[in-house]
Amino acid sequence: MYIYLYDNFLRQKKYDATVKAMEQRLTDFGIAGKIIRLQTFTSSDAIIAEEIRRGAKTVVIVGDDTTFGHVLSRAASHEATFGFLPIGPQTSIASVLGIPVGVDACEVLSKRRKLNLDVGWFNNRFFINQLHISPAKVSVTYDERFTVSTKNAMLELVVCNLQPFVWRDGGKKQVDVHPQDAKLEAFLRPVVGKSLFGKYEYEEPSIFPFEEMIVKSKKAFEVIADGKRSKEVNVKIKLAKNRIQMIVGKERQF
Amino acid sequence: MFQKSTHEEPTYTPIQPKVPVYEDEYEDDDEDTVETVVGPSVHVEGDFASEGDIIVKGTVSGNVKTSRQLRVEAGAKVYASVHAGSAIISGSVEGDVTTTGKLEINATAIIAGDITCDILAVAAGARIHGKIMMEGVDIASAKSNKKRTLGRVSPKKKEDDGVDA
Repeated sequence: MYIYLYDNFLRQKKYDATVKAMEQRLTDFGIAGKIIRLQTFTSSDAIIAEEIRRGAKTVVIVGDDTTFGHVLSRAASHEATFGFLPIGPQTSIASVLGIPVGVDACEVLSKRRKLNLDVGWFNNRFFINQLHISPAKVSVTYDERFTVSTKNAMLELVVCNLQPFVWRDGGKKQVDVHPQDAKLEAFLRPVVGKSLFGKYEYEEPSIFPFEEMIVKSKKAFEVIADGKRSKEVNVKIKLAKNRIQMIVGKERQF
Repeated sequence: MFQKSTHEEPTYTPIQPKVPVYEDEYEDDDEDTVETVVGPSVHVEGDFASEGDIIVKGTVSGNVKTSRQLRVEAGAKVYASVHAGSAIISGSVEGDVTTTGKLEINATAIIAGDITCDILAVAAGARIHGKIMMEGVDIASAKSNKKRTLGRVSPKKKEDDGVDA
């Protein structure tokens, strides 16, 4: 049994046609199911738990990257297969998973090509794509074995699991990551100065694959995990190996 | 009036989703597949192990271990012993260097420690202070060769002594 979690922004008129076409295609494939519309204060975790109890086997997230990150941040602990129908302004995760944007995504969903993916765990919630720590004076300890510090006081930290880390250094540089390699990849960039426009300038990144990491600071620093911002002083980031079962496309980037 | 309309149907190209870039727009493509990199101003303290390739451009104070390739770049410093599948040393290492495969020591390298490897390549200008041990050298035969050489040298020396007397 399928359940479909629709993001609230899909109520907008401009998405009506796409949503209707999707629903029609899902009915054609015989995989239509219960539709639940997420509200601002809806707990997707509680909804999924209840629906699984009632016999749901597949949870499909319908929305953009924010919806995807928001739902899985809590729901990744449930034993269900997750699917994704990307619609909306920001759908970069879909291309990594090999899911086309819009109606064609229904075909990928119907084929049910399932893979177990690693996810990250930090301060009581999951993240599937990226965790970003804005430049701050932090100390980093990896796997309780070694600590990393820098001559320059401030550094930026990006933990990647799904999307590649892309930065500019005379041209595009990119390091691909794999969500099934039983590692999370940390990209650490010391700040070397500021540009005339007040933007931070960075040194080339240091790269550390890890399973557990502790980031500490005396002052609160900003953490953005799959688009959700929070202020922290102590962050423990862990790998949750093969935590979620995800329906992916043939054209996936891993 | 009855001419075929030249009006073309508008074509729509799907908008390609963008991967977030942590700075400005970029121009060319360059992929990097390196596993572990210690950047130039980064200092790592503690035992540092990886299952993939390691590139050290900064400072590491602690043992470095990998079953694959280790590269210590020019200007980089390692203050402990190093174990690797193969290694290319261009920076400074204060500790023993052990590789199961090839060890390449470049001209800018400084190694203060014993070296154990299978294949060794040393560039002119490299500085090494320590013993070099390699597989395939029979120490017993080397000692007997040494004795034989000494045996040949000593009578000659006596002859020379005689001339002088």
